[in-house]
Amino acid sequence: MSSKSKPEETTTPKPIKKVLDEDDEFEDFPAEEWEEAESEVPGTTKPNLWEESWDDDDLSEDFSKQLKEELKKNDSQKSGLEAQR
Amino acid sequence: MESIIRAWRTAHAEENGKLLASTISLTNTDLEEFAYSTNSARVAEDIFRSLEYENNSARPKITNKTGLEAWAEVYVAYWKVAQALERHDDVEWGQVFVNMKDLTQAVIRGFQNGLWEVWQLEILYTACKYLRYVAIRTDEAKRANGEDTWKSLEDAARIINRAFNVCLNDRAELAQSRKWGTYYIINLLFKTYFKLNAITLSKNILKALVANTTEMPDLLDFRTSDVVTFKYYCGVIAFLDEDYVKAEEHLDTAYQLCHKDAQKNKELILTYLIPTKLLTRRQLPSATLLKPYPLLESLFLPLAKCIKSGDLRGYDENLARGEDWFVKKRIFLTLERGRDITLRNLFRKVYLAAGDSKTRIPVDHFKAAVSWKSGVELETEEVECYLANMIYKGYIKGYISREKGMVVLSGSNAFPGTGV
Repeated sequence: MSSKSKPEETTTPKPIKKVLDEDDEFEDFPAEEWEEAESEVPGTTKPNLWEESWDDDDLSEDFSKQLKEELKKNDSQKSGLEAQR
Repeated sequence: MESIIRAWRTAHAEENGKLLASTISLTNTDLEEFAYSTNSARVAEDIFRSLEYENNSARPKITNKTGLEAWAEVYVAYWKVAQALERHDDVEWGQVFVNMKDLTQAVIRGFQNGLWEVWQLEILYTACKYLRYVAIRTDEAKRANGEDTWKSLEDAARIINRAFNVCLNDRAELAQSRKWGTYYIINLLFKTYFKLNAITLSKNILKALVANTTEMPDLLDFRTSDVVTFKYYCGVIAFLDEDYVKAEEHLDTAYQLCHKDAQKNKELILTYLIPTKLLTRRQLPSATLLKPYPLLESLFLPLAKCIKSGDLRGYDENLARGEDWFVKKRIFLTLERGRDITLRNLFRKVYLAAGDSKTRIPVDHFKAAVSWKSGVELETEEVECYLANMIYKGYIKGYISREKGMVVLSGSNAFPGTGV
């Protein structure tokens, strides 16, 4: 708090930090005011940091390929069963 | 004693709120000297005399005797706090807390009696901040001795609540109004109520605020630090209320305005913004967004990947892996609702795998997809139940033809929200 800086021979300043920081509390900011340029998303042009969760048309990725295999296996098993009958 | 009282005088001459606040700070480097500068028999007289002496050279002078007495009360209480902190090898936190309450109440009275001005609000912030800190230490010390208590913090909350009312209900014209202190104090109260797990009390504060909203300056005219903190807590409160639209609004603002170097705070905001956006917009955090936060990255990124690809099994595994943390943060149940989206994406993959935009797909295919990798073969009825649920929720357009064992999908837009 005090702008004067004396070596910390007093015992109080050190423990204070520790307790106020614990259990994920929203922290005090180092400054009270800041310019828009210093904020996380300055200006009106927002970089797109979010992705759509269900537009995934990429069937070449591993998961889709494996799934396709699995479904094929399922079909052939079934036709196998029917052939036995 | 001189240095503290002299700083008091300089603060008044300069109308320097920060300097004034430092004269009652627990981290003031002159705290020890102050504690030893007098004794309990003489403290009241010494402090009053010292204030009078400094006041003689002050501009403007506090001519009013009540005015000086109000300050004497503050510094006598502060001396007692200093003494309890500095003059014992083992700090008796209970005693510090009793004195800290006196100090805070003396400061609140100063404002209540209309003696102090807006630039002096910093001293109210500092008093309330340390009151809360000392209360936490006091309860911790008691709990370390086996007594399960949050009593001191509850006590502190009541006093900070009075400070809130002293700010909120000031009728002075806006430029000179204590209303400018409202959001700082509210944020302290939010932090306190969250720690006490008394979220309802936070809502009462918001209600009181809404009732006073006409005379209140616009939120964005307050200090950015106050705005971001306030928006974060409002966002979390709305989130816990399952009002995700509101939560998104608050948290988005908090995230955008947050100082870019405040890493921990950004991480806290994202912790709630990510599950919120999953529900409101079905959006997932990109790898770029998560990169700076190793903890969030390790928990959310695999989850996001599974949701996107429709990997139901992987989704369940990753949710279970992070369960402890998700539960602690109270986001587990919200994230669990991402399972529907994963399932929908898996079913869509089945549809895409069939190729040629086929609209009739055997139920067995969906059954195979859900059972896949899980090690358990699902009953057909179970899968039909999943499908019916998806159709009911509007994730899939179509119907189940049970006699044919087929799912008949809508010819257009069978999976709303995407091009197909």
